[in-house]
Amino acid sequence: MSMFLQACVNGLLMGGFYALMGMGQNIIFGVMKIVNFCHGEMLMVGMYLTLILYTYFGVDPYLAVPLVALVMFCFGAVIQHTLITPSLGTKSFTNLLFLTVGLGLLLSNGALVIFGSEYRSIRTGYSQTYIQLGPVNMALPRLISFGVLIVVAITLFAFLKYSTLGKQIRAVSQNPVGAEVVGIDVKKIYLLTYGLGVALAGIAGALLTQFYTVFPTAGASFGLRALIVVVVGGLGSIPGAFLAGIFLGLLETMSALFISPSYSDLIVFMTFIIILVLRQTIIARRR
Amino acid sequence: MDSKKAVHIYHRNLTILLGLILLVFILVPTMVKSPYILNIFVLMFYMSTLSMAWNLLGGMTGQNSLGHAAYMGLGAYACCLLVVKTGANPWLAAIFGMVVVGLVAGIVFYPCFILRGPYFTLVSIAFGESIRQLIINSEFFGRASGVGLPFGNDSWLNFRFGSKVPYYYVGLIMVVGIYLIMKKIDRSKMGFALKTIREDEDAAAAIGINPTKYKIIAVVISAMVAGLVGFFYASYIRYIDPDLMLQVKSTESVLPAVVGGAAFVEGPLIGGLIMIPLSEYLRANFSAMLPGINMLMYAVVLLVVIRFRPTGILGWYMHSNVKKMIDEKILKKPSSEVLEEVETLEYQREEA
Repeated sequence: MSMFLQACVNGLLMGGFYALMGMGQNIIFGVMKIVNFCHGEMLMVGMYLTLILYTYFGVDPYLAVPLVALVMFCFGAVIQHTLITPSLGTKSFTNLLFLTVGLGLLLSNGALVIFGSEYRSIRTGYSQTYIQLGPVNMALPRLISFGVLIVVAITLFAFLKYSTLGKQIRAVSQNPVGAEVVGIDVKKIYLLTYGLGVALAGIAGALLTQFYTVFPTAGASFGLRALIVVVVGGLGSIPGAFLAGIFLGLLETMSALFISPSYSDLIVFMTFIIILVLRQTIIARRR
Repeated sequence: MDSKKAVHIYHRNLTILLGLILLVFILVPTMVKSPYILNIFVLMFYMSTLSMAWNLLGGMTGQNSLGHAAYMGLGAYACCLLVVKTGANPWLAAIFGMVVVGLVAGIVFYPCFILRGPYFTLVSIAFGESIRQLIINSEFFGRASGVGLPFGNDSWLNFRFGSKVPYYYVGLIMVVGIYLIMKKIDRSKMGFALKTIREDEDAAAAIGINPTKYKIIAVVISAMVAGLVGFFYASYIRYIDPDLMLQVKSTESVLPAVVGGAAFVEGPLIGGLIMIPLSEYLRANFSAMLPGINMLMYAVVLLVVIRFRPTGILGWYMHSNVKKMIDEKILKKPSSEVLEEVETLEYQREEA
């Protein structure tokens, strides 16, 4: 029983990260209809940024979060402006796909060239602090991270729902031509959206550093799971992405507990394929 | 009659040019003795073939798969296991591997063809990862440590050589053969159906093309070619492991096609011809100091091509002055009106 509870909590804490990644991917996909295949690599960049801030400037990983978010936002906006917006005009899905795939290759191999393939990690004074809550044991950094990402998720939800910019983003995602007609600067919204999505990945990366190792391909599995979260949670739905992320985290730990840890990846991917095919089949039937 | 003669001369010149290029490739092993250089050529041959396999599905049909390394790996595993467990002849195992991969791809993707655009890409990734995980977790497949082919005497029957030259020629035959098949498909009714599906699936269905049928055929052929490459790879390297199916390998197999020009049958060949030697040169000379430099260069070339030449190198060449000069000076290409006129004449004669 206590193992079950522990697995539940672990799944929940990990699921939060998938949710955050999924939300970033979701707004990019929702607004521009492109899949950001370098989302995981953006998380990795966020991790290295935090690592640099910690080792060279002594910034605590949690205090680094806003800074990393800001830097990643600008980074995303620059990429959008120089690479993605010009290619959006060609309307070629293949090109946009390989643009983000190429960016992912560039970032992960760039990190490999600059930092080498060693596994690095950040261990602060409170990294090894554990909190006992009944039968469940939780590492303090995981708990703080989860708290931070809940706050980020709620802020994002409120921003999209109530602020003018958020409303503009939603308008563009529903109908870009209509949005342009009513005077929304669509290119600016694209810039903002991609920056925001990348910043979310960067935040996830910064929050991960205390209990995860930093290496050039650290983001790959998170990137894949972000895609799963988007598809399972539904397009354009922030609460959906959040729930799907938590579900994915739980599914992973539960299959590791009840079946075998080595099969958890397989089960995640198979579940994803089945859900996707079933849903699209139902949608196609309804038409 | 004059126009007919001009077209005939053009076709003859084109054949001579292509024949000369082929002759150069045939003569390479007689002049180059370095195994390192020959290895790059072999690598180029099988990567280009794999890229052509992807191109049938991605470039021609518009179904962007990112799981072709899994098909290749599956083909390699099927061949290796058959050879290791039953001692079958490798050439027989090649056919077995292709059939297995074709069947698996056809069955698995049958329900997935309802998915369009990015969803298809996502499923192909998930499918590739699933196969890899399945192999890592299975005793039968040798888990993460992989499978090695038995060593022995050199012979054509066992497709096993100490020298690289036989592999070079088999690889060359594979590239040319698959290219001819792809060219044939490109020109056939099926090729046009696939291209129609790429442009607009609903419109294709409306004019009587069955998208599911053609997509299944494309995926099965594509997977079978990838399986063939897997057989070649396994026989060449003589050892396979699940890392063969990593997501990155799938991406790597697509790059020659996208850089060369995914809309053209020749795209993967041109892309492979340029990218593989460059990548191998960087890997050999700089990877000790800067690991990952070859893939970094790959990524930069890819981004530059997509950003500035969205149709790839071949797409740029098609509209360049270089092509115009070659066409006029060397090939004596008649004007497009003349070409069309002769084509119509021939078409009418066939009809009659």
